[in-house]
Amino acid sequence: MLQTAKKTIQIEIKRQDPEINNGESYNQIYDVEVEDWFTVLDALIKIREEIDGTLSLRCACRASICGSCAMRVNGQAKLVCKTKLSVVEKNNKILVEPVGNMPVISDLVADFKPFWDKFNAVEPYLKPEGEVPEGEYLAPNDDMVHLVGVMNCIMCGACVSDCTVLEVKDNFLGPAALAKSYRFIADPRDGSQFERLQNLEKDGGIWDCTRCMQCVEVCPKDVDPMERIMSLRSKSIENKIDKNYGARHAKSFTDLIKNNGILNEVLLILRTKGLFNIIELAKLLPIAISAQLAGKRPPFFSHSSKNKNQIKKIFKKLEDK
Amino acid sequence: MYEHDILIVGAGLAGLRAALESIEAGKNTAILSKVHPVRSHSCAAQGGINAALTDRGDNWEDHALSTIKGSDYLADQEAVEIMCREAGENLIDLEHMGVIFSRDEEGRLGTRRFGGQSVARTFFVGAITGSAMLHVLYEQTVKQNAQVYEEWFVTKLIIEDGECRGVIAMDINSGKLEIIKAKSVILATGGIGRIFEPSTNALICTGDGLALAYDVGASLMDMEMIQYHPTGLAGNGILLSEGARGEGAYLLNSNGERFMEDYAPEYLELASRDVVSRAEQTEINEGRGIDGCVLLDCRHLGKSKIEEKLGYLQEVAIEFRGIDLAEQPIPVKPTMHYIMGGIKTDFMGQTDIPGLFAAGECANVSVHGANRLGANSLLDTIVFGRRSARGAIEYSSQINSISKSKEELNNETKRIQNIINRTNGERSATLRNEMGEAMTSGIGVFRDTKSIKIAKQKVLNLIDRYENTSIDNKGKIFNTDLIFNLELKYMLDVALTICIGAENRKESRGAHYRTDITERDDKNWLKHTHVAKTDGEVQFYTSDVNITKWKPEIRKY
Amino acid sequence: MKFAFFPGCVSRGACPELYTSTVKISGILGIELDEKALESASCTGAGVLQEKNQLLGDTLNARNIALAEKQNLPILTICSTCQGVMSQAEYRLENEEYRAQINETLADEGLEYTGKTPTRHILWIIVEEIGEKKFKSLVKRQLDGLRLAPFYGCYLVRPSKALKFYEKPERETCLEDLTEWVGATVVDFPGKTACCGFPIVTINEKASLKMVGNHTSTAKDLGADAMVTPCPLCHLNLDQYQDRAAGMMKRKIDLPIIHVPQLVGLALGLDPEELKINKHVISTKKLLTEISLKP
Repeated sequence: MLQTAKKTIQIEIKRQDPEINNGESYNQIYDVEVEDWFTVLDALIKIREEIDGTLSLRCACRASICGSCAMRVNGQAKLVCKTKLSVVEKNNKILVEPVGNMPVISDLVADFKPFWDKFNAVEPYLKPEGEVPEGEYLAPNDDMVHLVGVMNCIMCGACVSDCTVLEVKDNFLGPAALAKSYRFIADPRDGSQFERLQNLEKDGGIWDCTRCMQCVEVCPKDVDPMERIMSLRSKSIENKIDKNYGARHAKSFTDLIKNNGILNEVLLILRTKGLFNIIELAKLLPIAISAQLAGKRPPFFSHSSKNKNQIKKIFKKLEDK
Repeated sequence: MYEHDILIVGAGLAGLRAALESIEAGKNTAILSKVHPVRSHSCAAQGGINAALTDRGDNWEDHALSTIKGSDYLADQEAVEIMCREAGENLIDLEHMGVIFSRDEEGRLGTRRFGGQSVARTFFVGAITGSAMLHVLYEQTVKQNAQVYEEWFVTKLIIEDGECRGVIAMDINSGKLEIIKAKSVILATGGIGRIFEPSTNALICTGDGLALAYDVGASLMDMEMIQYHPTGLAGNGILLSEGARGEGAYLLNSNGERFMEDYAPEYLELASRDVVSRAEQTEINEGRGIDGCVLLDCRHLGKSKIEEKLGYLQEVAIEFRGIDLAEQPIPVKPTMHYIMGGIKTDFMGQTDIPGLFAAGECANVSVHGANRLGANSLLDTIVFGRRSARGAIEYSSQINSISKSKEELNNETKRIQNIINRTNGERSATLRNEMGEAMTSGIGVFRDTKSIKIAKQKVLNLIDRYENTSIDNKGKIFNTDLIFNLELKYMLDVALTICIGAENRKESRGAHYRTDITERDDKNWLKHTHVAKTDGEVQFYTSDVNITKWKPEIRKY
Repeated sequence: MKFAFFPGCVSRGACPELYTSTVKISGILGIELDEKALESASCTGAGVLQEKNQLLGDTLNARNIALAEKQNLPILTICSTCQGVMSQAEYRLENEEYRAQINETLADEGLEYTGKTPTRHILWIIVEEIGEKKFKSLVKRQLDGLRLAPFYGCYLVRPSKALKFYEKPERETCLEDLTEWVGATVVDFPGKTACCGFPIVTINEKASLKMVGNHTSTAKDLGADAMVTPCPLCHLNLDQYQDRAAGMMKRKIDLPIIHVPQLVGLALGLDPEELKINKHVISTKKLLTEISLKP
């Protein structure tokens, strides 16, 4: 059933222990004999059990459901229990590091406190409205099946590890917490959608996301956190929680395409910031001037599509779908 | 100084359910777990939770009968009645907390049929029911601002005047031992899977609670009752839920035959787990297996049904074996999955030791008897997790003060330091692997006097050798090497009680199938087996099974 | 090789030098650009429109592709974002039901999306279609000694499924490969596949500037002479906002950011001015001196 072709892989591990080397990190390389069906976790366990018991890591279920073993493999966050060695090794080598955007406790063990603090910040529990029924709440199965997609999240932290916004902005709630929030906002039983959305409008909320898709790429459970953040933005605008640059940017962008077929960056900026937002626009002036000096001249009235009417027609048909 | 009314050890479904009950009652409650709550092994439960909802024509007595028959009449019937009667109310509670159970066309809770049940009464969330429930209970503890000793490891229970008054535990992050005082302690530490190799269980399922309770004299009951799940993934034993067969998947032998027709003509693939596992092992032993496995065939269910209802199974199949369930059958085999046995408790979770309660897989109130039905374990955790809290609430209300145990902390610190100081000994993993192999071959789907004896001798040998093991990591911070060594001792102690139970039960019942005594013996063995330590000596004894209205019958599926 | 040219909004707006340099190199590379085929095309939506309405976004992209298909031409893009958004639409349109639903809308204009010729970025076309051997034979000016940091732009690296990395693994390293083909040295750095910060520059400028500052200063400190990018949006942020980012970090950065077609043009022997390399905010003078070209 399982082939047993063995070979030796060099596993380089970023290690760190407050009691060793003044807490400075250092890399250590292990030569590990592996079977061809080994996962990265199998190899790490083999190191811990047979070669070097000082290696610290978290792992439990081995079946991609407990979320303990997110780490960076060759620079990208992975759940190592479901990452086949044969898929990630390059020239018989791999590099394993702890998850990013979180402090390290020891070796591959990260301190998840910031992760859970943000989880807690979105009031991650159902807040039903009205009287509690005697039996179950009635809810469409389609809605429940849709939510399974989000409840697949096992809080492994892979998305947070590789989130490019969190690298530069500590207070961003991040993909996991926002997806969790979506889970309640999209639950027909929850009664506080509006308040939840209002909280997410604030700095650190949904408009901080750059849509870089790192979370989509690294999520081991296909939760697609970014897609959830985008849905939250859309719901937020639908609920008229739109007095912010993010919502204005999204709306202006859509309007410009609707009317011209293509984009005009100058108008987009003006509309996002607000035509009469003198202070913000003044801040942009030096940027515009330096671009002009360099010979870049974004045309105020730029090109538009040759068939604007057809595009408008498509908008009209699909806009509210 | 750490001090609580109620300390709950373990943060899986039973532990969290107990915690919520205790917090709601206004008790000073704390949860202690060696892993973050959502990492607990309850998350791996896939298929669902059973409940007979009366408002849709089902009745709890039928559920009880299925359970008792499934248990091969070893379950205590009053306990089963409680579980089945309280199932509906508990299920609705979970729904109200936010579990996103699958619905029917009217938006009411929908069901699937599970093994050993006469009707469909299993409520589910795709193939992630355990995870979906665990996360919701965790959310509720966040809402309640529950105190959690996260990543703490209990090394000893504190007993004063014969009563449990707290624990000594290590903060894994600092390596420091502390006393946590409590008027009562609830053990909800889950299963023992790592005693066997392979097992469907997580690496953290090391029987900690059972060993801790056994160490202070509590009785472990029916420990020989080890469930082999019929559909463990070949190789490392990852679970493929009974939900697959619940949705209609077939089991095939090497001739492509649905062999369950020969073993359970009525229930077929949905006979109880001991029956299906034995059938599979028989097919394999008689040469109709494929590389030591049989095949689980989901192809006829179609891709969309597989993806909607068995999404996680599909993920496991593709990720771990490169098999698309819609296109290819997947090799499976009986794999150690669950222990029906555990710390003996009454209906309120009370163990033999006053102040010490237990619930969930580590406990044995005896609702599963000699074989647990699928989707009854989640129900067990919820019903008896909650009840154990009620028991502990009542008990702790009568306790006024908690006393000191400074000396015990010093002794325990010394004991642990000795382990750290040992050098040049055997590695923990060497012993763990030898134990796993010995237990799987000795206490397998089929067992006999000789195989049990060999396993027991091996375990005794390993218990001796344990004293000479040593660890590499001499540090304090997150020393998983040390934890692993302490867990090994827990596993060895529990393994021995499993062997003792198995050698003494001289009949075949449920999961305990002896090839040298193949019949059930109600006359002599309608009894629970107990292993307990008295003054350091291991004692074996039996007690009667509680029978209310369902007399033992011949068990056919 | 003839393609329906999809210049994208930015190369006709804030980055006209990208448009110019693309046209210049295409002839030499044997790439024929049909500029008429997509005259009535729309913006891809850049992911922003998709936030609100994925069906609408996908329909607009299916329409653009169908316009090209009508002329039997595959589309060539010069922007990571345009490319990524179109690749994602194509990926979702592999679903037959979804395709049928969208084609119903397109039928109104007499169009049909088939998806037979996937849209490709000019960088992919160079690496996949022209290939190392032929490309190197066209190189007139070895850019030896030049140290270049790659910067892909999110949409050209993620989601890898939609971008078909599993079928075309060379896409994962195409920018480094091209850099080596022109004789330059790759300055590898972890930020090369990260976000440039552009999408939030009007929303959260500080975070955006931090991204700009981190990437450009890291590359600079690793010895890069310039950064090269296939994405004009990244270019806009990394170039136009670099001084401000440097100010925030209280240091100098001065790392020129050049477009892929400009790099190719230099290697093909074109005059820097033809490629409008002087039309950047961060001066390219020093860079050009380095390769012994008059600025």
